[in-house]
Amino acid sequence: MENTNEAVEGEGEGDACFEGKSDISQVKKLLFRRMLVGVSDGRFFMGAFYCMDKQGNIILQDAVEYRSTRRSSPSPMEQRGLGLILIPSSCRISCHVDCSIDEHLSLLSLQAQK
Amino acid sequence: MEENINNGVEEQESENHEPTSVPVLNTSIPSGEQTVWADVASLLDSACNDLQDGELIHGDNFNLFAAMSALEIMDPKMDSGIVCRYYSVDEAIEDGAAPIPLSLNKTVDVHCMIDIMDHMLSCEATWHKGHSLAQTIFSCIYLLRPDRTSSHALLHSYCTVIRSTCNAVISAVSDSRTHEEEDLFTITSGLPLKRDGDEKCLSMLNVIEETISRQLHACKAPSHKKRSIEDIEPLQTNLDLEEGYCKAVLCRLRFRKHFYHVLVCLRRPQGRGLELARKHIASCLVELDSILKTEEFLRANNRNGMWEDGMESEDSTTASGCQPIGFDSTLNSRLSAPTPPRAIKVFCWKKAVEYFQKLLHDLDIVCSHPIDPLHEGALRFVVEFQKLQPDLVARSHLQLLLVQDGKLFGRDPIFTMICKAAAVPELAKNNDIQKNESFVHLCQLAITLLKILCTNAAWQRRQLGKVLQDWRIIHMQLEIALRKEFEESSSTSLDENLCMKIYKNILNWVEEQTYWIAFRFLILGFELELYAPSEYCMVYWYIYVILIKLGEKMHLRMITNSETAKRKGKKKRESMKDVAREPAIPPAVLLLQCQIYLAEGLTLMISALRNEHGVFQCRGPFNSEQERFIQHFELLQKACIPDHVSYYTFRDYTAHSQLDTLIMCNYFKEAQRIAKELRGSFVNDKNKLTELRHIEQVAEHNVFRLLDTSTDDKEDIEMSLVIRHALFC
Repeated sequence: MENTNEAVEGEGEGDACFEGKSDISQVKKLLFRRMLVGVSDGRFFMGAFYCMDKQGNIILQDAVEYRSTRRSSPSPMEQRGLGLILIPSSCRISCHVDCSIDEHLSLLSLQAQK
Repeated sequence: MEENINNGVEEQESENHEPTSVPVLNTSIPSGEQTVWADVASLLDSACNDLQDGELIHGDNFNLFAAMSALEIMDPKMDSGIVCRYYSVDEAIEDGAAPIPLSLNKTVDVHCMIDIMDHMLSCEATWHKGHSLAQTIFSCIYLLRPDRTSSHALLHSYCTVIRSTCNAVISAVSDSRTHEEEDLFTITSGLPLKRDGDEKCLSMLNVIEETISRQLHACKAPSHKKRSIEDIEPLQTNLDLEEGYCKAVLCRLRFRKHFYHVLVCLRRPQGRGLELARKHIASCLVELDSILKTEEFLRANNRNGMWEDGMESEDSTTASGCQPIGFDSTLNSRLSAPTPPRAIKVFCWKKAVEYFQKLLHDLDIVCSHPIDPLHEGALRFVVEFQKLQPDLVARSHLQLLLVQDGKLFGRDPIFTMICKAAAVPELAKNNDIQKNESFVHLCQLAITLLKILCTNAAWQRRQLGKVLQDWRIIHMQLEIALRKEFEESSSTSLDENLCMKIYKNILNWVEEQTYWIAFRFLILGFELELYAPSEYCMVYWYIYVILIKLGEKMHLRMITNSETAKRKGKKKRESMKDVAREPAIPPAVLLLQCQIYLAEGLTLMISALRNEHGVFQCRGPFNSEQERFIQHFELLQKACIPDHVSYYTFRDYTAHSQLDTLIMCNYFKEAQRIAKELRGSFVNDKNKLTELRHIEQVAEHNVFRLLDTSTDDKEDIEMSLVIRHALFC
């Protein structure tokens, strides 16, 4: 895991003028990782990151829907499997990826740089 | 790290989400071991900015085709889980979405109750028309939690009778299996459709009805008598409105009661409940009229005193125009999985009442059918009934009435019925014959045919096309069996001649049925608008060849029939005059002859117009005429219906037709002449008379058409034919 991070950072440093490109390759590293996406009606979807387009629409594989039974939190969650889903960027309000603590720190520092 | 994330949650709650803000994370969804959920929203955003148009971020195994099939979240047509208002039924109830009582003000309570009844009727009609139960009737929160309503007698009894009615309708439709084309209908998974005590729904309803009719009586009583009945508590508190509300509730309750009775009576074995069902149908229709009449009163006393904003009175699902309380179709939308439900529009109240009126009229026709054990009569009745375009529920009940326990009307074994239809003599002695495997199979085919005819036009046509082959095969099997029987006849105790006769008659009958099915198959194509004008010529030609065969077989059967009758007549020594008066050709065959003339005339006229004026040509880059011929008649051709007929026969038949020769030998005039003569033979048969009138009209139009071929306007010719041919069906 750390190796990949180094590679990403290395690439980023190497192509300082193509800083944008490094974001793309950074996202490419996230492919097939567990991704948790929250949408505007309060549900969450967790699945393997499969694809993203320019508009920010995301496709998750083997996705599971999580849904509270009450608006007031905390409340019990219901879940059900949905398979391959497309989450339009317009309704996505959060997006997290499952990663190690070290990796998380490096991501945060990357954001801080910007 | 976790703390960070939790802080993030709080921050998010205070401000509206923007792509850059820290997003929500639900802490109850665990990340992996030794890992955390890292926010990547901003990273994704900046990556998106850098992507080229049309560029995707994806892995090696990416498959665009598979990606296209992804379920789109928040798309109302694909995502069944969208949270609209409430996260769950319980949350909706806690939020006061379905209060009990509906209001502390008794007048408002009654008004709301009437709105619920009306909206429920709209939902029920929408369900019958093919939407899911979950999205229609069971959008009612009160129905989803049946035990909650017990303190509200009116609401409770109404919900109970609705549930019982749903169960009765579902069982009729699923028993008849007519829903195969409307499969959403019987999906009930996860819905509280059955509850202990539902069998008492009618007595509960009666008690309530009794109370309210007493209340109505009390409020109508003249003032000096009021004292004696003061102990009756009124339905609601506003005494000026008491009568109106009592009436409005009563007619709605009575409609439910009679409708439930109708459904129960229709299911009595052997059609024993039909007479009673008709009485309840009449009562239902009366109550529906009363319900319609309450609209004015309810609108005037609308609980808001004004129309709902943004709601057109035409679109309203209630008589009062108010939105009903206690309904939310999104709450159980996930129950209708696997297919996420499409957003549906519930019928407006007026349309719902109209639907029920039509349904009841259709059911009345079903009930009025005389229970006679004639196969032909049953077939004709179903075909006539289908012309009214009855909906699923009515068609299911017709089918259940016709076929019960594998018998016609649950009374006559199909084999007896076939023997009667095929004019098989002296059946009683030959019971052995029906144990023959081919005969058992034939009986099954006859039952299947009746069932198919009760389904909707599209499904019916597909199934008819499929069974044609089976009828052909059974014919072959019977032929083989006949030969075998004939060879072994010396060893059987049966009279050789008699056995031959039975087989021959039944063989002829099977062929007649086969051609009748083929004819119906072709005609349904017009109903479903499957033929293009350029294909009319071949369709009419095919109808023509099928009708000729059908006529032959029918005539043969009728001759055999009358021979049998004559023999009986001789035994009874009836005067010979009666026999002499009998027409040489039976009217039914003559009617067929009319249709043959029409089909032949239309074929020749269209082909002549093609040959001389260049209209009705198969143009276009895709299919040749021969390919279209195969597409339309493949099932008939495969089953050799009729034998030795192909595209080339059709081409040879029509290649040289000319308008001049057509005028010399005018098929339409012949058809017209016979139709006129036939009127007298069908004086008592309304349907036949309408059919004759149609034939005359089509014939007359086309006679005129032929005389006036001077016009060169191709479109004009095509148009007028397109309009007039439809009458042929």
